[in-house]
Amino acid sequence: MASRAAAVACAVAGACLFAFAGAVAWTGCGTSTRREWQRAREAWQRHDPRAWQAWIAIDPGSVEGRDARSRLAAAELKYRRGIELLRTGAPGAREALLDGTRLGPMDPALYLPLARAYRERGFDERAAEFYKKYLSLGPAVAVARAEAQAELAALGPDVFQADLVAPEPPFEILGVAPGALVAALAAALVATLALALAAWRRRGPPLSARAAAHPELQPALAYLVGCLRHEILKHRIGAVGDAVAALARGGDPAALALLVERLYRGEPLEAAWRGHLTSFVRALGPDFALLRNERSFRAADRALRAIARLERPLARGDGRAIARLGRAFRTLRAFDGELAALTAGFARTRLDGALLAELVRAVLGEPACAQAPLDELVIAPLAPDLAVEIYKIDLAIAVKNVVRNAIVAVGRGAAPRRVALDVDVTVEPTGEESVRIRVHDSAPEPLDAAELAAARVDRGLGLARETLRRAGGALEVAPGADGYAKAVVLRLFRAFDAGHVASRPPLRAAS
Amino acid sequence: VTRRLLVIEDGTEYVEFARAFLSGFAVEAAQSAAAALDALAARPADALLIDLRFERAAPEALVGDAAETAARLFAGDRERAERYLMEQQGALILGALRAAGHQQRAVFIHDFPPRRLENLRRLYGDVVAIPSFDAAALRAALG
Repeated sequence: MASRAAAVACAVAGACLFAFAGAVAWTGCGTSTRREWQRAREAWQRHDPRAWQAWIAIDPGSVEGRDARSRLAAAELKYRRGIELLRTGAPGAREALLDGTRLGPMDPALYLPLARAYRERGFDERAAEFYKKYLSLGPAVAVARAEAQAELAALGPDVFQADLVAPEPPFEILGVAPGALVAALAAALVATLALALAAWRRRGPPLSARAAAHPELQPALAYLVGCLRHEILKHRIGAVGDAVAALARGGDPAALALLVERLYRGEPLEAAWRGHLTSFVRALGPDFALLRNERSFRAADRALRAIARLERPLARGDGRAIARLGRAFRTLRAFDGELAALTAGFARTRLDGALLAELVRAVLGEPACAQAPLDELVIAPLAPDLAVEIYKIDLAIAVKNVVRNAIVAVGRGAAPRRVALDVDVTVEPTGEESVRIRVHDSAPEPLDAAELAAARVDRGLGLARETLRRAGGALEVAPGADGYAKAVVLRLFRAFDAGHVASRPPLRAAS
Repeated sequence: VTRRLLVIEDGTEYVEFARAFLSGFAVEAAQSAAAALDALAARPADALLIDLRFERAAPEALVGDAAETAARLFAGDRERAERYLMEQQGALILGALRAAGHQQRAVFIHDFPPRRLENLRRLYGDVVAIPSFDAAALRAALG
């Protein structure tokens, strides 16, 4: 009895140690980063205006840093949408801004556009609050400072407090001789050229290669690319394809009106594009300055800048402008296709009996589980051609931790000590399919959803839960099959084959 | 003969596109499942054009129970469930319309993978998708 208790203790300790080691290796960071992340989140919760800086300062190479940047990028999209909806008086602004506040702090660069949007809608006190926040940023906002001060002052004495908007010291050039000034300018020019050359040499490998080399960045990359494609390349550029063609065929007022609405109303196209590019850098780090590294992004940038210059010539029916618009449109459609191809193969793992057997064998070979008594472990046959939206390494982490936990738990109970794995697939009302990998065990120890939710990330189930969450999935507990006390369920979405239905004729659907 | 097309979206992009390029269709708009049901009850439509993502819609206007979705798919995480309902809202609206007996062709402008489109057809019958705004493809899809 004593030796079995010792074996169980060793098993539990071994499992925890393994899980902890896995967590450290997986996160690639130590406790200092976690503490920094904790402090940054606390700053956000107490509405500290320095919260955004604290979030962006987290090491982007750490899990916490990537999480922070990913949330900042998602929040920024919400904030930008909220500002645009507020500015145009469209419904949903409040909800979008609230969505942003739920995700993360606001980039201080958005304070001024938000202040102006509030001012335009007549919310002077809210406008003043954000003007003041903007002006409190100090020298970083020198360029627009005077305008912001004037706009704040124009809101009236009730909301204007001069003590918060002390003027910047004036910029002066004092006592510089003309020759020295020329020499200084020449030196500056040389330095600029040298920096440009160095920046050009620092260009990294193509985006596809970087995505392949850093699979851990692919979920964030897929999200950012998806937002860019949906908001700009589908709803603003893609929507005008027929209008561009109609203009090329000859004057068409309806086509021109649609084109003007999509390309030149609302948030300026270039600003929206720049916002998305900034989101890549914030979420993924400075290596993802895509205009520097990516030929296709530079071509898209040129096309969007060209479009921005064409509003007046298009309104005049200028034939060269229409031709230029057509070329820009084709460039951007090609760019959209490249982005679709880039993300099509992300985060996809084939799930079959061989993979589950391989993972189970690896767990059974660990000292902790090799010593735990186990009477039966069964893997039920899986549906063919099944793939799930998760990286193989992450799926392995999640499955192994849950299986290890089950083996150790049944080892603590009475015979028969049984573990079984099965997989079921359910079609969701959205047409997606959810995949459940169920790990049944006969251990009588209870486990409920609250325990799963509370499990620390440096413990097996907590690590599995967080790994699945990052892949869009979840970890649950459910009743076990006949003969089993419970099942811990790894839930994921099925990964479909890439490709769309562009080349397919409309079909009469099966009933 | 003019055919009636009901466009269901959270903005105005689809309806503006349809009115500009779909001659032969009388285009009506609805911005939620409830509005679509009202419009169809008032006058049937020959086809439906449905946006998938409803990010600008108020949460209370969305089809789908966030609490139930959170419990079923996201281990109780309501925020993820609400985002999911917004991102997949068009398919859920189609489900609500089918449940109310409206069986006309539904068209999505979305690059669904083939298997997912087959699933939508098994669930909701006459469903077609085109990957991008393209008037000729949309006219063909509307039949």
